[in-house]
Amino acid sequence: MASSAEHHQGGGHGQHAGMWVFPRREEVTSDVSGKTFAMPSVYKLALGIAAVLAALGVVGFAIRASSDGFGSPGPWGYYAAIFSFVFMVTGAAPLVACAFRFTKSHWRRPLSRVSELFAIVGVVNIVLFIPLLLAMPPIKNPDAQGTDLEVRRTLWFEVPIGAPYTWDLLCFVGLALCSVAILWLSATPDMAQARATATGFRRGLYTALAGWWYGTKRQWNHQKAGLALLGAFYFMLIIFVQFIFITEFAMSMVPFWKDSVLPPMYTVMSFQTSLGLILIVLFIMRKWGGYEGYLGKAPFWSASKILLGLTLLWTYHLFAFFITYWYGRLEVEQNILKYLFTQPYLPLFLANMLFSFLVPFLMLIWNPLRRSAWGPSLAGLSALVGALLFNLRTFAAAFNTGNHYEFALSHVPAAVLPDIWDIFMVLGGLGIVALVYLVSAKVFPLISIWEVKEGTLYQKMDTFVRGEYLVLAKPE
Amino acid sequence: MARRPILGLFDNANSAADAGDGLRRAGIPETDVDFLTDTPYPEGAFGEREEPHKLYIFPFIGALLGLTSGILLTSMTQVAYPLVTGGKPILSIPPMAVVCYEGTMLGAILFTVLGIVFESRLPKLKAGLYDNRITEGYIGVLVNTEETQHGEVEGVFGQTGAVDVKKQ
Repeated sequence: MASSAEHHQGGGHGQHAGMWVFPRREEVTSDVSGKTFAMPSVYKLALGIAAVLAALGVVGFAIRASSDGFGSPGPWGYYAAIFSFVFMVTGAAPLVACAFRFTKSHWRRPLSRVSELFAIVGVVNIVLFIPLLLAMPPIKNPDAQGTDLEVRRTLWFEVPIGAPYTWDLLCFVGLALCSVAILWLSATPDMAQARATATGFRRGLYTALAGWWYGTKRQWNHQKAGLALLGAFYFMLIIFVQFIFITEFAMSMVPFWKDSVLPPMYTVMSFQTSLGLILIVLFIMRKWGGYEGYLGKAPFWSASKILLGLTLLWTYHLFAFFITYWYGRLEVEQNILKYLFTQPYLPLFLANMLFSFLVPFLMLIWNPLRRSAWGPSLAGLSALVGALLFNLRTFAAAFNTGNHYEFALSHVPAAVLPDIWDIFMVLGGLGIVALVYLVSAKVFPLISIWEVKEGTLYQKMDTFVRGEYLVLAKPE
Repeated sequence: MARRPILGLFDNANSAADAGDGLRRAGIPETDVDFLTDTPYPEGAFGEREEPHKLYIFPFIGALLGLTSGILLTSMTQVAYPLVTGGKPILSIPPMAVVCYEGTMLGAILFTVLGIVFESRLPKLKAGLYDNRITEGYIGVLVNTEETQHGEVEGVFGQTGAVDVKKQ
């Protein structure tokens, strides 16, 4: 069989060489299905590494649970940090496909499924979230005395029935339901097209999930409307769940930490990192996965500008957060600032700034880097490292303030360094995400076949005077 | 006479559109004709009928139910446990917002999923008439009509360049 590149034609010249690729429509289904069903050695290696890391995580978790239990949040600070990192990055990832589908951006077509596939990780997030609920200190102070508060400050105010546990959990269930519905609806035409060539488990699954699909006008209309509605709801829910999570598990844990900038900063960072992660996955697919015929440089080039904007937006939020406390005259504000920024966690904060802002900013302001596939991907990797450091700093600190019922943080606690089981859990969190994603990529095609084919109807290279340019049709 | 499907397969969209025109001229109702494609074609590409949908009604109902549940739950809690918090009234809206919003969103999402299942008439246990060449870019023109009209439909398919005709 000919290589993937031979099946496709590239477009663009000069600085735009290789920017756009045009897969041959009649070969997309069989080619992508073949890639989905194949098990190359590089994939097996990645799967093995992810499985080992995930196993380390399970060991770390089991030992932490058996030695410390769930009675106090302190020992679970690093678990909360890695959960927050995973949720931050993977929770917002399906939104990338929805957002660029809304804006009818043609360059988004090859990245849609890469983004939607993180819905499966969203289901795993529900399971990973449960230990955090167990470790969260109760809202009502079980041992109120002296100046301590009887009820911990939370966003639940009068504590409606089910708060906080049921409502927190329902947030994640709702999010997972919405993202899985988006994945199912989007992948249905692709599964239907692959059901004839699939064998064994996949054939049964595709028939069960997509046996009803024949590609009638009515079905396409329902799919389009369903994706639009669910995409809008996903956006409305993800920012809400992120608000709940960062308020509940970071702000409420530090006495008197009241900050309206933190939730939007967390959301902006999640957009920045999820886009960064998607670019890394696309780079790997293009470089080692055989998908170069589907992935020109256009997705990297277009996404890099958005990544640059998000990087600047995150820095603006960080500054807004910092300056408010910097000029704060209350002792508690100074203590919180010292605790999270300038004293025990200063090295993490500086590294966080370096990787979340300086490195991606300095990379992405250069046109030649933005037009490459590796430049935006490397900037995305830097943003991911920065986000990991942000979450380690924020949650290790928040879970280890000592007395969560104190009226206000009266001192600056010392930094809590991770022990070996914390390190295992952090590595395990990364491993579980990679493992689940890699397995999912062998069930669902990594390329949204119907969207790529739709793109071939509307895009082609044509000449104007002596130059060759991309011509786009806009049916809507 | 029983209504049975008949599928004409075309290797390009223009021929499929010509077949649609031919079927209309032959008196086949538009509601009996479907175009099967591997990717969504722009509205009206085959001169086909419009396909309105009522999917938007489902999330609207779900959101209303979720919001109502949220309001009832929070207000009943506030009335049942009258704690004055921060000097604010017992029944106040801001602390209800979190639960109400979450209820609204969950209701809307759940009903959208149910709406998709209902509008798509799922589950469908019986396989329909299909040809795998549609996944390679061929266009299927599916006609559900009386068997007595199959000859006429086949004639239209033949005149407009169908590469294959299939019956169930």
